[in-house]
Amino acid sequence: MVVYSFYIFDRHTECIYSKSWLSPAPTSSSSTTTTTTPSGPTSDTHPPLPSSTTTAAPTAAAGTTGRRSAPTTSASSAADNDAKLIFGTVFSLRNMVRKLGGEDDAFVSYRTAHYKLHYYETASNLRLVMLTDTATLSMRNVLHQIYINLWVEYVVKNPLSPVEHKGGAGVRNELFELGLEQFIRGLM
Amino acid sequence: MASSKASRLGEEVWKTRMDKVNAELVVLTYGTIVAQLCKDFDSDYIEVNKQLDKMGYNIGLRLIDDYLAKSNTMRRCSNFRETAEMIARVGFKIFLNITPTVTNWTSDGKQFSLIFDENPFADFVELPDDGRAQDELWYSNILCGVLRGALEMVQMQVEAHFVSDVLRGNDTTEMRITLIRYIDDELPPEDD
Repeated sequence: MVVYSFYIFDRHTECIYSKSWLSPAPTSSSSTTTTTTPSGPTSDTHPPLPSSTTTAAPTAAAGTTGRRSAPTTSASSAADNDAKLIFGTVFSLRNMVRKLGGEDDAFVSYRTAHYKLHYYETASNLRLVMLTDTATLSMRNVLHQIYINLWVEYVVKNPLSPVEHKGGAGVRNELFELGLEQFIRGLM
Repeated sequence: MASSKASRLGEEVWKTRMDKVNAELVVLTYGTIVAQLCKDFDSDYIEVNKQLDKMGYNIGLRLIDDYLAKSNTMRRCSNFRETAEMIARVGFKIFLNITPTVTNWTSDGKQFSLIFDENPFADFVELPDDGRAQDELWYSNILCGVLRGALEMVQMQVEAHFVSDVLRGNDTTEMRITLIRYIDDELPPEDD
C-alpha cells in the first residue's frame, strides 16, 4: 500500500492541512482536470520518496520535474490549486451521492487508473481526504482513526490552537505532524 | 437510534473511554468561576449569565469533536428528537454522568425541555442572599452555552435557556431548548 497525499478541509471549505509523500505530482493545466480524466500521480515515474516533503515547504520546488505545464507557478500555489480542485470534486460527488442515495448515503472513495481517493466526513463537517495507490482497500476507518486519535487529541484539545483554523493555524503542530507521520508509516 | 440503545452507548462510553475527575473538584472549580464572575461584574447577574453562556459556547465548539470521537458517531441524527435523546443519554452521560429527562415537546418537534434530577455543578451551592440572585442568576447557565456551541458545529442553530432551578427554590431544574434552523453547508468560493 502506498499513500500519496493527505488533505484536511474545514467546514468553511478551506484546506487547513495538506501533506504529500511524493515529489509534487505532475498536473496538467488545472482547467482540464476533471473527475473523468483526472491527472494523478503515476507511481512508475514518481515513486514515493523515502523522506516526506510537506507541499508547502519551499524545498518541494526542487522536485518539480518540468512536466508542470505552468513552470512559473510555485510549488506551493500549485499545491493550493490541487487542494481546491480536490475539494470541489469531493464536495460535488458527496452532494450527488446524497441526492441519489438519500441523506444517509456517504461518498467513500473513487478510483482512477492511477490512484484512489478516499473521503471521510465527520458530523462536524471536517473533511479528510487521502490519495493512495489503486490496490488499497477502504481507508474510511483509517481516516476516522486520524480524526479520533490525532485531530481531536492534538488539535482540538490543544488550548493554544484556535477554534477556527484559518490558513491552517494550529493544525501544523509537532505532535499532530509526528503522530500522522508515524501512523501513515505504520500503514505502509 | 432507539433511546435504550442510546442509553447503553452512553453507559459503555462512560465506563470504558472517559477520563474521570473528582466530582467535588468540579463543584469547587465551577463554583469559584461563578463566584469570581459575580465579583468581577459587581453582582450584575444578567451579565454573569451572559458570560457563563459565552464560556459554555466556546467549550461547546470544541467539545463536540470529543463527543463525536468518544461516541464513535459516524452519522448524523435523522431528526431533532433523536438529537435530544443523544444529548441527554450520551452527551450528558459521558461528560457529567447524569441523564436528564427529555420532555415537554411542542407539537412541531422543535422545542423540548431537559429536566435535571441531579446537577453535579449545584452540589453544596447556595445562591447569594441579596434578594436579587434568586431572581436573576442562572447558576448552571454554562450548560446552555455548551449545547448552543456544540449543536452549531453540527449545523443546528438552537436557543437554550433555563426556566427553573432548584437553587432558586423551584421544584425542578429545567432547561428549554429550541431549534431555530438547520445551518446549510458552506459552499466553496466561486472560481475567478
